Amino acid sequence: MRYAMVIDLRKCVGCDACTVACHTEWDVPLGHARTLVKHTGVQGEFPDLFASFFISQCNHCDSPAYVDPCPTGATYQLQNGIVKVDPEVCIGCGYCVEACPYDARYINPVTKKVDKCDFCESRLAEGLQPACVVTCTANAKFFGDLEDRNSIVYQKVFREGARRMENENAAIGPNVYYLGSEKQLELVRKKFGPRKPIFATPAMIWAKLLKPFIFFAVGATFAGQAIAFFHQLIKGEEEYDD
Amino acid sequence: MKISRREFLKRSALGTSALTLAPNIKLRGLEKYPDGWRGRQRVEEIASFCEICFWRCGILGNVDKHGKLLKIDGNPQHPLTHGRLCARGNAGHKLLYDPDRLKYPLLRVGERGEGNFKRVSWDEALDFLAEKLLTIKGKYGPEAVGFFPHGIHARFFSHLMKAYGTPNSVEPAFAQCRGPRDVGYKLTFGSSVGSPEPLDFEETKMMVFIGTHIGENVFTGQVLAFAEALEHGAKLLVVDPRFSTAASKADWWLPIKPGTDTALLLAWSHVLVYENLHDKKYIRKYANGFERYKAHLKKFTPEWAEKITEIPAARIRETARAMGKYRPAVGLHPGRHVTWYGNDSQRARAMANLTALLGAYGQPGGLYLPSRVPAARFPSPAYPKHKPRADGAGSLYPLGSRGLGVTNGLIDATVAEDSYAIKGWIVYGQNVLQSIPCQERTREAIAKLELLAVVDVMPTEQMLYADVVLPEATYLERHDDLLTVKNAKTPFAAVRQPVVQPLFESKPGWWIAKEMSKRLGLEDYFQWETPEEYLNYRLSGLGVSLQDVRADGIIPVKDATPYLNGAARFKTRSGKIELYSSTLKELGFDPMPGYEAVEEVPKGYFRLLYGRSPLHSFARTQNNEILHSYMPENTIWLNNKVAEKLGLRDADTIQLENQAGVMSNPVKLTVTAGIRPDCVFTVHGFGEGSPFMTRAYQKGTSDTQLMSRVKVDPICGATGMRVNYVRIFKGGTPLMVEGAVAIKPVARKESVERKEKVSRPKVVVPEDAEEGC
Repeated sequence: MRYAMVIDLRKCVGCDACTVACHTEWDVPLGHARTLVKHTGVQGEFPDLFASFFISQCNHCDSPAYVDPCPTGATYQLQNGIVKVDPEVCIGCGYCVEACPYDARYINPVTKKVDKCDFCESRLAEGLQPACVVTCTANAKFFGDLEDRNSIVYQKVFREGARRMENENAAIGPNVYYLGSEKQLELVRKKFGPRKPIFATPAMIWAKLLKPFIFFAVGATFAGQAIAFFHQLIKGEEEYDD
Repeated sequence: MKISRREFLKRSALGTSALTLAPNIKLRGLEKYPDGWRGRQRVEEIASFCEICFWRCGILGNVDKHGKLLKIDGNPQHPLTHGRLCARGNAGHKLLYDPDRLKYPLLRVGERGEGNFKRVSWDEALDFLAEKLLTIKGKYGPEAVGFFPHGIHARFFSHLMKAYGTPNSVEPAFAQCRGPRDVGYKLTFGSSVGSPEPLDFEETKMMVFIGTHIGENVFTGQVLAFAEALEHGAKLLVVDPRFSTAASKADWWLPIKPGTDTALLLAWSHVLVYENLHDKKYIRKYANGFERYKAHLKKFTPEWAEKITEIPAARIRETARAMGKYRPAVGLHPGRHVTWYGNDSQRARAMANLTALLGAYGQPGGLYLPSRVPAARFPSPAYPKHKPRADGAGSLYPLGSRGLGVTNGLIDATVAEDSYAIKGWIVYGQNVLQSIPCQERTREAIAKLELLAVVDVMPTEQMLYADVVLPEATYLERHDDLLTVKNAKTPFAAVRQPVVQPLFESKPGWWIAKEMSKRLGLEDYFQWETPEEYLNYRLSGLGVSLQDVRADGIIPVKDATPYLNGAARFKTRSGKIELYSSTLKELGFDPMPGYEAVEEVPKGYFRLLYGRSPLHSFARTQNNEILHSYMPENTIWLNNKVAEKLGLRDADTIQLENQAGVMSNPVKLTVTAGIRPDCVFTVHGFGEGSPFMTRAYQKGTSDTQLMSRVKVDPICGATGMRVNYVRIFKGGTPLMVEGAVAIKPVARKESVERKEKVSRPKVVVPEDAEEGC
């Protein structure tokens, strides 16, 4: 099972129904959002114009850990692909907020924890679709299991050619797919495609140096102990003379 | 920070390799829910319908065990929205819990406009109002009271006012909104198009929008049908001076010169008729006056229209031919707010006639026909006889609606103080200062009143002038009359039920009307004890009881009749579609729509255009916490080239001054290539004037304030509102483009272009009154 969302930008009218529904569903503090409607701005010269809406939210990437500098391991991924943040583990340091190339995370000023879209996991468990999907006035958002050949998202991705929003900055397997004309997808990719993950110096030290080192060190300790243990098993305990 | 020891060991044991494998490790199941989710606390789901705007989509109110409304969802049973809800509908609970709500009945203590009130009991307030009404009735007759209702909740009070004896009920829904459209289509087809606009999106092959900006103007059902039509490959043609959301999805966008739409419509019709692309069989069967109309269209060539509309003739031909190709499945949207230039009834006629030429009326893919929703009418004594209307509907404005009235006509009558006295106003759920142009005139009228009563949910600006204020419960706290929707391929009825109990001392509209009836001696008109009893009676016509429909909230009606069949008879005088209108001829108007040029914008000025945002309804939702947070104020759209010349940049703060010297609030610019250089655009409804609306107060600017002049449609009395020009001020000085000359501000009083009273032969056109703006 791999949950995915498809957003048809040809249909989206940028009405913000999804934004407000998400707000209410999750009691998101005002001024923050789990999902946002963006507009490319009008392109071209009058009267040859072009414009598109874009919806940004967590992409539930295949490799979130690739960019996740979380010092506590609060970010985790379910087998169905949903990337979550455990509020009990999160310390609100915000490293992941800076790192996420899609700007999908924010620090909730009330709980002081990182929050983001989780595909309305709780609703899914009740047999409901995500709040933004059910309310979308243009029926432009589709949700389902990408591994299920009968699902609407399978249809949209593999038959209609919905595309991932990736570029040279980040290619970490986003699971939100977009439908649109070539021109439209190119424009939104240019405007809203992922940025390079930003790692603050402490985060960088943590993510690239310390974390592997600690894990390695701890692992090595265990390995050492194990080796010692097996060594002991095979060789038997050494006797010490007083 | 809490990490279980086991987990820590697990991770460290896996060592560095765990990092690259992270996506695949399953650490937790689905059993864990964050506290943020409100679904967990939900204990009850109550079906009702929305009233954050007049479309009234189906809703489900999710209430927790304390009776608190947590969230509003769409009602999946609703035949048009299928459980979807717009941003405003989703934010409806913030109206319910708005701390600025009117909470208690109030009586004015200071001067009108000062905003000084004292809290009183319902008895005191209702006694006060009843006594005033009885006094006015005694002194001037019941017709001296004007009633300004809006919305389904005003129906009980409307009934009361008719029983009281006044015919003078007026809604901006006619003269500031869709009046000319209703008149124009009725003249051609015998009945107005109604609400929602019956465009057959499901079957259409080509949609044509004239100024219609679906997407920014949101009725969920219509946006949904529109988006699905796009997905199904329907073509889209958008005529708009502005690059609207719809325009950005269009196959053809025609950035027309504002005010010249009729020229385009006539040129399209010319191409259809003279290139033999019209539906000959349909016209032969159903229409009258084709040969006359054909001869009339002769001179309206695309080349003629090019000079007027600034749309190339080739483009006009191309789009007309596309319509000819896809007919009859061409959905020419009749528009909604169409009170633009004072010649709007004739523009609507040109649209209706074009629809007829395409054979699209009552045909799949064009405009479908209304069906019957046979709800029962609660028995009530006949209304008393009364004098004719004071607003000129049916007389001065011969085709003005006698159901919805002409607001500006009643305001004029109030100001005039002639033989027909208007001495009291009851404003019910309307915002007369924001929805009706020429605010100064409205204020002038208010100053002459002996009574101004306001029944509302929020303390909007007009409340400052009120003698008595009655706080109504919101749509989430009350029962209302049965909603019947005939204009749907699946017609239905819907019930409104209280999702929560009324907060503070607010009361439902039915209660207010019933209580007033006791004080006015009109109890006989309210022979029901509870709204449930009333609704049950209404529902009996549909063969159901309230109990049956409580859970769903929607009662679908089976027998829809959306398309013409066989020898249909139209409700026109001739029984046929009238391309040539003898009714108009007899009234002294052009029997066939011609082109009447609108006044040019003076150099240095821009035509003021306005429209909608998906985040706000009229001037109603600006104080809503969530909606305000996403859109606290409006901006002024200005063409980028023009901005460059004037040295203006995006997000600059400017002011607008109109031709009469009325200055706007400071407001930010949106510099965009998406608008013609000769006009500016803003979203309607901002610049709230009531300090009691703490969030919305003076945020953004009011377009209505800048509409100090209107051009009245002589056919129906509707106010053309796009006849106001503005220039841009920055830092207190006007920015003038080269060669511009300032207009000498004209005196306000002269600025309302009104027709002199003329006697016209009386033509009776049947009424079909209907609510909604």
